[in-house]
Order: sequence, then structure tokens, then C-alpha cells
Amino acid sequence: MIQSFSYVKAGSLDEAIEHLRAEGARIHAGGTDLLGCLRDDVFEVDRVVSIAGLEPLKGVREVADGTLKIGALTPLAAVAADARVRARYPALAQAAEAVGTPQLRNQGTLGGNVCQKPRCWYYRGPFPCRRKGGERCYAVSGNNEGHAIFGGAGCHIVHPSDTAPVLSALGATAVVAGPGGIRSVPLDDFFVPPRLDPTRETVLEAGEVVSELVLPPPGEGLRSSYRKVRGRRAWDFALAGVALALRVDSSGVVQEAGVVFSGVAPVPWRSRPVERVLTGERLTEDVVRLAGEVAVESAQPLRHNQYKVPLLRGIVERELAALA
Amino acid sequence: MSADKEVRYWLEGTELLETPQPDQDLEPWTETRVVGQRRPRVDAYERVSGTARYPSDVVLPGMLYGAILRCPHSHARVRSVDISAATGMPGVHAVLSGFSEPDRALRAHRSLLREQLFNPVCRHEGEVVAAAAADTPYRARDALRAIRVDYEELEFVSDERDALEPGAPPVHEGGNRVGDPQVYERGDLARGFEEADVVLEEEYRTECQLHTPLEPHGCVAEWEGDRLTLWESTQGVYPVRQQVAQALGMRQSRVRVLGEYMGGGFGSKLGAGKYTILAALLAKVTARPVKLFLTREETFLAVGNRPPANMRLRAGAKRDGTLTALEFVATATGGAYPAGGTSALDYLVRNLYLCPNVRTETADLYINAGPARAMRAPGHPQCSWALEQMVDALAEAVGMDPVEFRLRNVPEVSQAGRGRPYTTTGLAECLGRGAEAFGWAEARARAEEGTADPTVRRGVGMAGGMWAAGGGGPPSTVIIKLFSDGAVSLNMGASDIGTGTKTVMAMVAAEELWVDPGEIQIEHADTATTHFASASGGSKTVPTESPAVRAAAVLVKQQLLEMAARQLDVDAATLDLREGRVVSTSGPPREVAVSELTELRRRGFVEGIGFRGPNPRDKEVHPFVAQFCEVEVDLSTGEVEILRFLGAHDSGRVLNRTTYDNQVFGGMTMGIGFGSTEKRVLDRGQSGLLLSRGWHDYRIPTAMDVPANMSTVPVDPGDAEANTTGAKGIGEPATIPTAAAVANAVYHATGVRITETPITPARLVEALAGRERGV
Repeated sequence: MIQSFSYVKAGSLDEAIEHLRAEGARIHAGGTDLLGCLRDDVFEVDRVVSIAGLEPLKGVREVADGTLKIGALTPLAAVAADARVRARYPALAQAAEAVGTPQLRNQGTLGGNVCQKPRCWYYRGPFPCRRKGGERCYAVSGNNEGHAIFGGAGCHIVHPSDTAPVLSALGATAVVAGPGGIRSVPLDDFFVPPRLDPTRETVLEAGEVVSELVLPPPGEGLRSSYRKVRGRRAWDFALAGVALALRVDSSGVVQEAGVVFSGVAPVPWRSRPVERVLTGERLTEDVVRLAGEVAVESAQPLRHNQYKVPLLRGIVERELAALA
Repeated sequence: MSADKEVRYWLEGTELLETPQPDQDLEPWTETRVVGQRRPRVDAYERVSGTARYPSDVVLPGMLYGAILRCPHSHARVRSVDISAATGMPGVHAVLSGFSEPDRALRAHRSLLREQLFNPVCRHEGEVVAAAAADTPYRARDALRAIRVDYEELEFVSDERDALEPGAPPVHEGGNRVGDPQVYERGDLARGFEEADVVLEEEYRTECQLHTPLEPHGCVAEWEGDRLTLWESTQGVYPVRQQVAQALGMRQSRVRVLGEYMGGGFGSKLGAGKYTILAALLAKVTARPVKLFLTREETFLAVGNRPPANMRLRAGAKRDGTLTALEFVATATGGAYPAGGTSALDYLVRNLYLCPNVRTETADLYINAGPARAMRAPGHPQCSWALEQMVDALAEAVGMDPVEFRLRNVPEVSQAGRGRPYTTTGLAECLGRGAEAFGWAEARARAEEGTADPTVRRGVGMAGGMWAAGGGGPPSTVIIKLFSDGAVSLNMGASDIGTGTKTVMAMVAAEELWVDPGEIQIEHADTATTHFASASGGSKTVPTESPAVRAAAVLVKQQLLEMAARQLDVDAATLDLREGRVVSTSGPPREVAVSELTELRRRGFVEGIGFRGPNPRDKEVHPFVAQFCEVEVDLSTGEVEILRFLGAHDSGRVLNRTTYDNQVFGGMTMGIGFGSTEKRVLDRGQSGLLLSRGWHDYRIPTAMDVPANMSTVPVDPGDAEANTTGAKGIGEPATIPTAAAVANAVYHATGVRITETPITPARLVEALAGRERGV
């Protein structure tokens, strides 16, 4: 049963920011993740501050240079259905469509998907784990079949978002509004790895709200895709996944590569080794195979998640071959 | 909880109760008008419009809400429980625990579970420690948060594979064996293996599957003086009444249990639970009605599961496909209390295929985890997972088609049933007609040609099966009344657990009485107003109740014909019913409307009381099945897409093709969950606590995980001997071979045998990678 809290429906972004500065305040957008966290007693809450009614934060806008600005409150279903998103950034549409269920995509927002809490069963369960301010990560000696093979450092969660790896691969930035005004944070710098602080997922400070996600113009030759593999064909998080954003010239040579994994690390995991292998090359069978190999060469699987190594390699090879 | 002992699931080996014979031996139907048709549910409108009142919908004036405080440890002694802070909270009317004055007497309560209500030693996470009732559910939960419990944590064992290790903490004094291993033997096993041209051996494991009915377990309890009324979400109102009366020291006649609608049980609601007793006690001490329903998490912890099983199977066969020997050794666990962890686990090895030399040994172990309850075909899907994969491997080893191999080994008699013949053995027909309807041979050949994408493979697999019960039997009493205006009411004690029981029974009555099934008023599942019935489980409800319904309807019809005969002055034998009229079937045409029968109008009604007659004494009645499926496997990711499924079932006469198909599709869906997505995860070796605490981490299949292309082939060999409607059970056989059929199809596609459930992408991609490395 949910703990007691007060509820504020913010009439403006400034009002929301003001309320969110208080200790124990939690933001409510779509609420699909918040409700689960409250039911599972993942964190304390005194005040729920709802931004759900802030119309300016909803919808997709295009500006003159072709930049696409997606309001943080835009439902995932609307992101997936947007014609510009589908045409220019198919990876983002695929990722938004891969989230949860139709109900969750209608209710859940893009900003919420990027900022959601991890699904680790120790974090969500009755365990005082390090991410909740406790002493230890229970996944190390417990059942870690869903946990990280990269970047685990005192906490082995995987980042649950499907859209964040895509936004990262596409070079998107988050517009963050807060008590100190507005700042832009590149998605690559938005997430906090556990080696820096295992108790937080993002760089957001008290009172800060993601208001918008900004996609740079696609430019020439952008090919993108997102693919995740899950234990059940709907309503499930990634066991492993890969977001690809490749700029390919007319002769088929990869000029620029964005490769970011989901489901395998505490943050969306940019794979520099794969990007290096791809850049300047054509997507031949050999290159694809090499990319699969380097994708997992620094993986450090735990006792129960060794399958993620062949799985991630398989997905990388399959998706690169599909983009070739 | 000892579901298999306390709640009789079927009457195997039990002397039949004394039941009056029907007045006449009813001949099997030759032609039917209603029976066998596709009919929507008679209560479909109520169910989909929300007007059907389930127990969880019941709201009574002044009603309080109950909640249960559960042990958060895998194994702990309760040193003390301090409820003082909770009792004074606003809106809190009662707090009970085994330590709280003046409730110390409650410690003596021994429920149906053979444990204390508040157990001083909690042997699994989720054991009951205290309970509260308050004017809102939120205040009841707040009261639980305010209870202070001092636990002494004890060592625990959370996995049956660790339970017999030296130094494993004992769940009970005397160790972790529930009893001596159960051994069954026939023939000469050593000779059987000597005669074999091929001997294979393999270890299999099936994970713990959880019941996930849409409506959680619970009830509403209300007292009027010393009479208790319970609205309980249950498969059987009579077993609940008996157990509650026993636990509370009451006469059964003082307890009324109603369960008209209920939101699913799958075997986990065959009787009362501690929640029932607690609701009754909270209602007693507060003098208010109390509603107590469990959360999903509580149901995952405390009210049942399909036990995990570890099975080693060794099998021998001759070159011609004749099975010569089967040796099956298994361990399983029903959790922290005796709960039938190995119930029927070896049944298919003993019975499904002809084999003269068989030995089985099953050992039931204790662990510190929630107790098992019966779950859709207890033991069978587990055993099928091992046996049907083994048979598939044997067929390959001797170079035979899997269907041919099975057809070579179809028994005519029940080998473990004292050699008694079956009333009908539909297994061969299920295999043959199923394979034909599926296009088995063509599909296998097509799959072996491969697909356009070299990383995608197709596979086709199948499995056979049968169910240990499914014949039904006495007792059942059904009363049908026909009133002076021709209206019909049907009164039976049985529950409709969502399978369509009411609809099927209305169709049977309608067949005899020439009325619209939808017009029949049904009163059922109420111990105060309907007749005794056993719980709806064991796939026995239709074969148990429908003959009683038919007998009652025939008695009503006979009386109408006799009234008409007197009124028309003809012989009753020349008359029959036709659409609300009694008409002559020979001689001069005479007829009278039922509502114009003078005697009926004077009397007001006629009544027929139907009893379920005994089953044939010298034969065995069982349903049989063969299921077929086609899958597509992505070799790079281990993803399996199930493209289609076909079930060929001998469940005797099909009474309603729609509810029959629903049962098969539902059984397949549950079997796909068992084989492909579901497993309870405990924190083995660390805390022992449940990790798969909700529907995110405990994955029941979604619509996306089951094929749109599901079909049935009813095999009806005409089982006139089984009972007077010729029906056998379908609910459980429908889920028995499903998982094994998928495993066999995955093997056909990949050449990799997945011997542990579930076949997730994780497991399959790892196995495929292992094969590449030559591991």
C-alpha cells in the first residue's frame, strides 16, 4: 500500500520547479513508473508534484534548421506515431514502440522514459541496496541474470530505457529547466554511472525538470535503428539491445557511427570500440563480424548473465547487417 | 498446505459414495440440437458489462477491510509481536496476533492447514504473523506498518537442490524429506534395458510456476449471531464450508459460503485459506463484516504454485520403436509444509505409453518457500517435459518419425491402473488425426528446407499426453424445476470457475427440455440454497455434473409427458417435447402446450432431482491429447516465435464447442507460459526471498507470446460407457503437452535440446553459443 503524501498539480513549469526543490518531492508526468516505485516502497515521498497538465511540454516541433524538439511530456505512442520521427529517426520510433504495452505507451512520456528508475529486483524489492543508500549490491552474490555486463561498479543495475540509448546515439540533448534557469545537457552526459554515484541515475538536481529533448537535423545519409531482445514479446525490458545511428556516404562508407547499448550497463552504454570499427568502413560481412566481436570484448559478465555476451554480439551483427 | 490430502482432487482409489441410481439407464444421445453447438456464455453479458458480482465486488454496510502482516524472512522465530501502537490508530477496529491479549486463545487455532494460524516459527517468507481490520484498506495497511515484530532469524534453505546437502538447515525437525521416496515398479527394468537397441539418459528441470488468477484470493465475512456467511473466491463452496467449520469449531450448517462468480483459481482455490479464517475472526471480534483480499505479491508468496521438479529419465527402445524400459528418478518440493510436491509427477511415465518395464522414484523435499497447491494438472506438465522430449530423442535415435514412434507404443489398458481397460483410448486417434489436420509431415519437411534468412530456422514439434483424472464421478445432485409458465430453473452446488460450467449445464438441460439455454435460471455455488458438490477442479466438473443435469431434466420431461398423457388420454410413450409443447410422435397427431397442462398449472411446478451415477467399475476413464506446433527461431538472438498450435483432444463428447476451444486455447497459453516465459525466482543462497515479486519479473505470456493461429481437433470416439453425456474433462489435458511440444519444435529447428524451463532467449542463445564453441 502506498505511503501518505500531498499532491500538487503544477500550473506552470516554474511552479513545478518551486515545489520540486523540497526534500521528499517527486515528479509525476505519466506516472507509470512513479506508481510502481511508490507501491514497492522504493523511496520515501512527501509530495507528488504533477506536471502532467503542462501543455507546453507536449508535442513535437520542428525549427527552421530541421532540428526536432520533442516535449518531455509527449506520450511514447505519439513519439512513435510522429511522421517526422518515423521518416528521419526510425530508431526513435522503434524504441518508443518497443516500450511496455499500448497502455503504457499512451500514458508514459518520453521524458519519463529517459528518467525512469531501474528495474533491478533487489532495488525494487525489500533489500536495502546501495542504490537506496544501503551498504551493498545484492546482485553481486545473488541472482544477477538481468544485470550489467559493462560498467558495474558497486551497483550492477542495467538502465531500463529504450529511448535513451537512441537519443544518445542520435546526439540528442536534454533541455533541463531548474531553479537556476535553463541548461542543455547532451544525453551522453545526462546519466550518472555508479562509479560516480550509485544512488542517482541522472545529473538532475533538486527542482530540475527535463522539459524537452532536442534532436539535431538528420543530415545526409543517416541510417538508424533500435532493436531489443526481451524475455517476453511485449511488456518487458531489454535483456540486451542496440541503438545504431550511422552516417553512410553514397559509396556505402560509414562516415560517423553512434552505437549505444541498452540492457547491459547501468547507463546507456556507448560502444566506442564498435564505433571505431565501423567508421571509415563499408558494412561488409567481415566488418559486421568484427563489430560483433569488439562489442563484447570488454564485457564482464556475472554468474547468471553470461548469455548477454553472445546475445549482444548477435543483436549487433544482426542489426548492422540489416542497415547495410 | 496439504491441498492434495485435505481437498480431494479426484476420487482415485476411493470407494464411491452411495448414490441413488438414475430412474432409468439413459441411452447416449444420437442426434443433438443444442449439445455440441457453439454457444456464448449464458452469463456473458453480466461478465463483460460488470454487473456480475464477484466476491471482490461485494460491499456490505459497515464493512471493514482486513489485511495480513506477513513474515519478511525466509525462516524466523517470532519472539514477540507488539500491536499496541496499531490498535489505537484512527479507524483501526481490531488487530490480531498469536501474542496479543486477549487473543492468546487464537494460538490454539489449528486450521485446515495443520499449522497454527499464527505460527511461532515462520518457515517461509509470507507466513501469517498478524492481521488487522480498519475502516479503509489504507488504514488497515497503516496499522500493519505500526506493528512491531521481534524476529529471530534462522538459517534457511530456499532451493530443493540444496535441501539434502550436508549441513542444510532443516525446515522441520527431522530433516528436509517430507517422507520416504515413493517407488513404483513393474516388470524387470534390467532386462528391459538389455533388450533395448538404444538407451538414452537425460536430466530435466521444470521451474516453479505461480498461479496468477485475475481475482486474487480472498473473501468477505459477515456474522449474524452465531451464523457465518462468506463470499469467497473459490472453486468449491462446500470444501470451504467444511474447512472453515472445522477450523472455527462450528457446525457446518452454521456456515454459508457463496461463490457465484469467481475470477479464476487454476487449482489454488480448492479450499479455504488462512485469509478466510482471519476474515471470519476479524469480523467476529469487530462485529462488522470484513473484506480481506490478498495483494498479488501475497498470492505469489503464500497461496500456491506448481512445484519445481528435477527429473532424470533413462529410456530404452528397440530399433522398431518398441519401448522396453523407463526409469524415472525425481525430486521436487511443495515448499515449507507437506503440499504434494511430487503429486502425480511420475504419472505419465507409468501410463502414457506401452512399456513393460518401469521404475519410478520420487522424493518430496521441504524448503523455506511458500507451499504448493494443486495447479492445472498437478505433476503432469513437469513429467511431460521430460518424457515427451525423451520420446522425441528416442524416435530420432532409431530413425523414426516422432508421431510414428508414439503410435507404436499406444496402450489399450491402464498399465498402472491394475491393468484395467480404458473406456476409450483416443490417444492413437489424437496422434493420427492431429498430425493429419496439422499437416505434420509436410510441415516437418518444409521446416527442414530452411528459410530465406540463414539465421532464422523453422521447427515443428509435437507431444502426446493424458490426464490422471478427468472422468468425474459421484457425488453430484442437481435439481431442475419447471414452473407453470414453462420457465426452468437449474440448481447445482458446483462453481463455474470461468470455464463455462453454467453454459454447458444449461445446454444439457435445454437438450432434453426444448428450451433456450439462455432462458434457464441457474442457481449455484451457495451452500445455503444449492446441493452438495465437490470443488470444480481435476477437469471433472463437466463429466461429474452434466450427467446429473441430464438425469434431472429427463425426470422433469417424464413428468410433463405423463401429465400430458393423462390430459390427452394417450400413452405417455407416444409423446415427446417440442419447443414448449408436448406432441405425439406416433398415432393421431395430438399436442398441448406445456403452459396449458392443467396438472402443471394446479401444482405450480414439477421437479426433477438428478444424481450422478457411478463410473464403470471395471474400466478407467481418462482424457487423451496430442498437440502440434510450429516455431521460428532466430539463431542470433535465441528468440522463439510460436507460429501455430493445434490440439487434438479425446475428451469424449464436446458439449459446447466454444467453451471447449476456450479451454484448449487457455491451456496452450498456460503451457506456453510454463515452457517459455514463467519462473518463480527466489534469492537462492543469499536471502531466500522472492525476487519475481510482480508481473514484471514473473512473466506470464502476453497476447504477443501466443500464436493467433490456434485450433482444435475434437476426437470423440463416443464414450458411452463413461457416463450418460459421454463427456470427459478438457481443462487440464489442454495444458499438459504444450511446453514439451514447444521444446521439441525448438530442437527440430536448432538441434539444441533445452532441458530446463523456460526456453527464454537467454537460455537458448547461451545454448546455441555453447554448441558453437563445442561445449
